[in-house]
Amino acid sequence: MPLQSPIYSQALSVYYLSEQAVTVEFGNEISDVLLHRISSFNERLQQNPFPGLQTTVPAYTTLSVFYDALTVLQATHMPGRSCFEKVQHYLLNLGEKNLSQTSSETPPINIPVCYGDDFGPDIADLASQHNLTTQQVINLHTQAIYTVYMIGFVPGFAYMGGLNEQLATPRKATPRQTIPFGSVGIADKQTGIYPLDTPGGWQIIGRTPLKLFDATRSQPSLLKAGNLVNFKSISPQEFDMYSA
Amino acid sequence: MRIRITKPGVLSTVQDMGRRLHLSQAVPVSGAMDTLSTRIANIAVGNAHDEAVIEFTYAAAEFVTETDILIAYAGDGATLKSGEVTIPTERPVFIPQGSVVRLVNNPAGSRTYLAIACGWDVPDVMSSKSTYTTAGIGGHEGRALQAGDILQNTKKCSPTTDDLLLKLQGTGINYPKWNITRQALLPMDKKSIRVVPANEFTWFDGCSIYDFLSSPYTLNMRSNRMGYHLDGVPIQRLMHKELLSTAVTPGTIQITGSGTPVLLMADCQTTGGYPRIAQVAAVDLPLCGQLKPGDIIIFKETSRQEAEMLYIEREEHLQKLALAVRSHF
Repeated sequence: MPLQSPIYSQALSVYYLSEQAVTVEFGNEISDVLLHRISSFNERLQQNPFPGLQTTVPAYTTLSVFYDALTVLQATHMPGRSCFEKVQHYLLNLGEKNLSQTSSETPPINIPVCYGDDFGPDIADLASQHNLTTQQVINLHTQAIYTVYMIGFVPGFAYMGGLNEQLATPRKATPRQTIPFGSVGIADKQTGIYPLDTPGGWQIIGRTPLKLFDATRSQPSLLKAGNLVNFKSISPQEFDMYSA
Repeated sequence: MRIRITKPGVLSTVQDMGRRLHLSQAVPVSGAMDTLSTRIANIAVGNAHDEAVIEFTYAAAEFVTETDILIAYAGDGATLKSGEVTIPTERPVFIPQGSVVRLVNNPAGSRTYLAIACGWDVPDVMSSKSTYTTAGIGGHEGRALQAGDILQNTKKCSPTTDDLLLKLQGTGINYPKWNITRQALLPMDKKSIRVVPANEFTWFDGCSIYDFLSSPYTLNMRSNRMGYHLDGVPIQRLMHKELLSTAVTPGTIQITGSGTPVLLMADCQTTGGYPRIAQVAAVDLPLCGQLKPGDIIIFKETSRQEAEMLYIEREEHLQKLALAVRSHF
């Protein structure tokens, strides 16, 4: 069989999450290929919404779809005996169609970070664990291009993959009570930025003056799944200028 | 219509039916823990069912009416009293200016919902009026109510609300004989919670699944609006593979590494990595919203089809109730 639609050559599965949500499962491991499949599927669903669709939640290997059950039930053109069946059928059908490549490569979002000192209390420890200097850690962290896999944990928190293997470090044994918002951290092979003051166990290497989450913006979260990100080292003076 | 909070109580926040449009940005649903009581209180004063209400946790709160007000309340956390007069639940009640209204303990549950004619006037934040205190957004200044806070109603009243007010206003507390019986919408046994097996159901040991669906679980003290930690027989895993974080939703029951079930509630995070054993049927989630630490519950299995059917029935019933109140006035 010719590979007409390589993106959907693997079967999707749709499982029940609640009376108002289902989850589409695309695979079982973190990869850029899967991320791309999920993002494309999500985009297509947004362009072709079924009646009652409310919102979607992309994650590492899944896309969850939230809807208003009563509106779905009234959609007589959607086959199925229950809301679940109607939505399941719709999503599987959507997945089988050939994908029109709509997602264009957008340049990475540049995030300024002041590394070290009070901004990044764990950077020295992390550097010595890996036999690196602090500057080498900064260089390695700013050279990579990261991919936002999902937003979770607290509003606007982006889980990003693409960290240089040399920097991979486990979470701290004891989480800190409070990590100030803007803190940039490392946990295993991921990097992330705390959008709010929260407890947390990631290794904190720096801090950005950008607001990762702002309820007054039309798109409150600065980052979304699928975005590319890179970091730029700034001085404490520059940090203050951004914050002013 | 305006009230001034004189005692804030344990945790009083403005809530509505929740914030669902920004889940992809990890903004929790929030909203009322007991959405059924919320809707009944709103329907009783002629409001749209999803208007903002005040969610009081337990009793000990108190407010003063700075103008004449028309309210309705529902839920099991407290009984409202003004002087020696007990204010009846689940119906519109006119209360004159200058009244002191106290919440006195009701051992039956934990949360009480106060709707005001036309709804409480707080800004819409990301399409909802719900308070999410962790991020300091929504509700009244993004926080729990404090003594001295003044809350007033919006000006967008329905014709039903106007008619109710016209009929009930006077010099003293006044209310009709009818009420919306919330009990009629709930099962007899309020500590028996129906659940649908979740996606990782088969990751658990057979005996553990049996225990989960038959033995009592107690809400421990760590329980809050985010979730309930349940003490009882620990749940053992059969499959020890890792779950990559994926969407969870209020009503999801996760099993932590130590085998403790955690029932996620209104303020739960949008994604989670613990395997999920079950999902509470949407119709029984309001019952969970009334639980308090020390309460004992038992999970009973139901099917996805049954849960969805019950949900649709409940929604239709609430629509009929709203229609009945409208056509009455």
